[in-house]
Order: sequence, then structure tokens, then C-alpha cells
Amino acid sequence: MKKRFIVFSLLIIFILSVPAYAGTPTVAVDKTVKRVLDVLRDPKLKSPAAKEIKKEKLRVIYKDMFDEMEFSRRTLTRNWKKFTPDQRKEFVNLFEQVLERAYLDKILDYSNEKIIFYKEDTLTDNQVEVQSKIVTASKEIPIFYRMILKDGTWKVYDVVVENVSLVQNYRTQFNEILADGTPEQLLQTLRKKVKAQ
Amino acid sequence: MRYYVSLIILFIMLSAVHAPVHCVAAEPEQASTDAVSSQAVLPVQTGDAPAKSPTQPTDVVSDEYDEEEDFDYEDEPFAEERVTIADPIEPFNRAMHRVNDRMYFWLLKPVAQGYKTVVPEPARISVKNFFSNMGYPARFLSCLLQSDFSGAAVETGRFTINTLWGIGGLMDPAAGKSLDLQKQDTDLGQTLGVYGVGHGLYIVWPFFGPSSPRDSVSIVGNQLLYPLSYFYPWYVSPGVLGFEAINATSLRIGEYESLIGAAIDPYVAMRNAYIQYRMKAVNARKAKSLLLKNPEASNTVVDTSRTEK
Repeated sequence: MKKRFIVFSLLIIFILSVPAYAGTPTVAVDKTVKRVLDVLRDPKLKSPAAKEIKKEKLRVIYKDMFDEMEFSRRTLTRNWKKFTPDQRKEFVNLFEQVLERAYLDKILDYSNEKIIFYKEDTLTDNQVEVQSKIVTASKEIPIFYRMILKDGTWKVYDVVVENVSLVQNYRTQFNEILADGTPEQLLQTLRKKVKAQ
Repeated sequence: MRYYVSLIILFIMLSAVHAPVHCVAAEPEQASTDAVSSQAVLPVQTGDAPAKSPTQPTDVVSDEYDEEEDFDYEDEPFAEERVTIADPIEPFNRAMHRVNDRMYFWLLKPVAQGYKTVVPEPARISVKNFFSNMGYPARFLSCLLQSDFSGAAVETGRFTINTLWGIGGLMDPAAGKSLDLQKQDTDLGQTLGVYGVGHGLYIVWPFFGPSSPRDSVSIVGNQLLYPLSYFYPWYVSPGVLGFEAINATSLRIGEYESLIGAAIDPYVAMRNAYIQYRMKAVNARKAKSLLLKNPEASNTVVDTSRTEK
């Protein structure tokens, strides 16, 4: 009786632990994508007037999903040290706005394309690449989310679209500006960019 | 009594096991409510103690910004992707980048948009399939030169099936679920890359866009191996090329815009995107090659990228 109970309890632990460990990062992205799709498909928000409400809702989801700090630090790498705390704060804020303005309208254009999550690559204990693709009639766009585990939550710190990593792409751009410019000059460029968009 | 103990242990273990899932579900909501509450509380506090309240929240936040860690991501699992390319003729390239940019926005895009409104999407996809089918000789040769024999066989199978049953290549039945013969995305520049030839330097060609001496080989080679470039009289083939470009653009309107729109320096963004994209493609081909595949494949690529600096 005792043995059976132990075996039984072990079995339960194994069964319950498998999905919890294997699925977490993909589940996290999948959940977020579903939340985004729920907002986009919401019949109440179909009218063009509701666009701002949609944007506001997407912004909240974005904050949950992305680790802006990690993202900003990785794009600046060693240059991060040249920034004062106040400059860092402004940088993270401006960079977020640049990304938002560039990609939010793209997301709002979504029209029922299929999104498939097909693979999860574990890189280190706390870093994972979740691979997905968007399938349209004429093409497939591979989108990989690189995620990091922080305080029990998986957050995205890099997005790789068609094999091009966003972090690296911005890193070369910022490096070029900071090679012979000051952090203030970079911030100035970003401010201009945000205004122009 | 023992049962109770083991039950308690079981309970503890179960809750531990479930912790990550629970956190994922609960954390975002908590985080957002925290953010909201701190924002909501702020104005109230400012009324009571104007001097104290602004410092309190910023202290918590700026802790993160104050950290003086050494952010050296060289040892990262993705570090091997650090790629650069020499750009000695940058002024010329920037000028050409501008020419191509203007050409896209003033000529290619408007024409493609008009074409898009007239021709329905399935027809445009068929046109794309047709041109893609004509690229078979270049892809077949590249596969052979890379010693990717299964890829060469797949390409031949695709060409035969799509030409015979796909109405001369307008349809793509070979890529369907039952046959599943996928297009081998390769060209001669990649073949040289598989051999270990580096980019050399960055060149932006008018019309063809970002390239390098190595990848220019595919621009020339693809033309030589392209059946449609042997059309007679001579002016047909540039016409065909132009039509192909318009058709391809009509299916991808908005992609270039979003890349440029998100960039701080569009020229550098394009250059980096190109170099990242090509490197991944070469690595993927290397993995498929029979003779050139070696366990140090990824290391050699890092070496070539380093020497490019």
C-alpha cells in the first residue's frame, strides 16, 4: 500500500512537471500572441475610431512581453557605461517610442495570417529561442523570439525576423553614431526620429 | 502519520513544479496593476509631500539604470553572429543607396501598386512561381557545386513536376503536402561562401541593391544561367527583368518601408541586415553540404567574419 502510494505520487509529479518545464517559454509567447490577436479581432474595436484604444491595449501587452532594459543594454553593449543614469532612462524611453511607431501600425494591419510556433531552442539555462513563422498566401516569414528568464517570467529581449536580429541591427547603427559622437548626440538623433515619425 | 508527511511533501513538490506556469500567468497582471497603482498614487502623494514623492519611485527605477555591470555580450550563445563587413567605398554606396531608395519610392512602388490593383493576388503568385521555376539551372548548379546532392535531386524533381503538371511552372504542386519538395534557396554567391570565400567589401549596385564582390557573382551567374535572358531580340530580357521586379515588389509592398522606417540610419541598417541574412544563408547551406560539412563549420565562419574587419 505504501509502495503503491509512493509510486503513484511520483507518477503524478512526473506527469505534471513535464508540460510545466517543456512548454513555458513557448507558452508565454503563444499566450501573448493570442492576447494580441484577441485585441485585433475584437469586433467591438473594428471601427477606425477604436484604433487608439487598440494601440493602448497593445502597449500594455508589449510591456508585459518585452524586456526593454535588456533590449536597450544589448544594443548599446559597452557604450551603456558612457551614458549617465538620466541619459539611460531617456534612451530606453525614446528607443521604445521609435520601435512602437515603426511596428505598431504593421501589427494593426494584420489580417488573419496564420502564426505557427514550431520549435524551441534552449541556449542556456535562462535563454531560449522560440521559433515561429507567419504564413501568408505568397510567403512564409520566419520570426524568432529570443527570451530570457528573469524572476520566473520569460521575457523577449531580441526578435529575429527573416534571420536578421533586431538587437544586432540597432547595435551596428548605434555603434556607428557613438564611434565619434557623444551619447547626447545619439539621444538628439533619436528625439528627431520620434518627432519625424 | 507517514502518509500525511508524504502527502505534505507531495503537495510542496507539486506547488514547486507548478510555480513557473503560475508565475507566467500571474506576473503580467500583477506588474501592470503595480504600474497603474504607483501612477495613481503618485499625484496623491505629491499633494502631501511634494519633495519626497518624486524621489521615492525614481530611486527604485534608477537602481536598474545605475548598475555598472560590464555588459560584454561576447560570450553569449549568439556571439558567433557578430558580423561586420568592410565598407571602404561608403560615399559611393550611400549615393547608390539613395538612388535605389528614390527608384523604389518614385518608380517601382507606384507601378507595382497599380499592377497590384489590376492583377489579383493568385495570378501574381503564379507569375512569381513561373520566374522562380526558370531559376532552376542556377539553383541546380549551386547545389551540385556545394555537394548537396539531395538538394540537386529535389530541384530537378521540382522543375520536372512543376513544368509538366504545374502548367509550365505557373503552379507549384511539388511543394504541396503530398510531395513536399521545397525550393532550395541557394545561389552562386552562397556557393563561394560555403567554400570559405568572404564578402570582401560592401557594394550597393544600382537596381540590384546590397551586394559584395562575392555575391555579385550570383548576379552575373544567375543572368547567364537564366533561360529568359537568352530571349531574342536583346531588349526583351531587361523588360522581363523589370516585369519580374514589379511582380515581386507587388507581393512585398511595405516590407522595405518598415525596415527603413524603423532604422535610425537606414543605410547602416540595410548593410547589417544584408550581411546577417547572407551569413545565415551560407551557414544553412554549409550544414547541408556533404563534403564541406565539418564540426568546426561555425568556427570557420567566425574567423572569416573577423578577418573582414
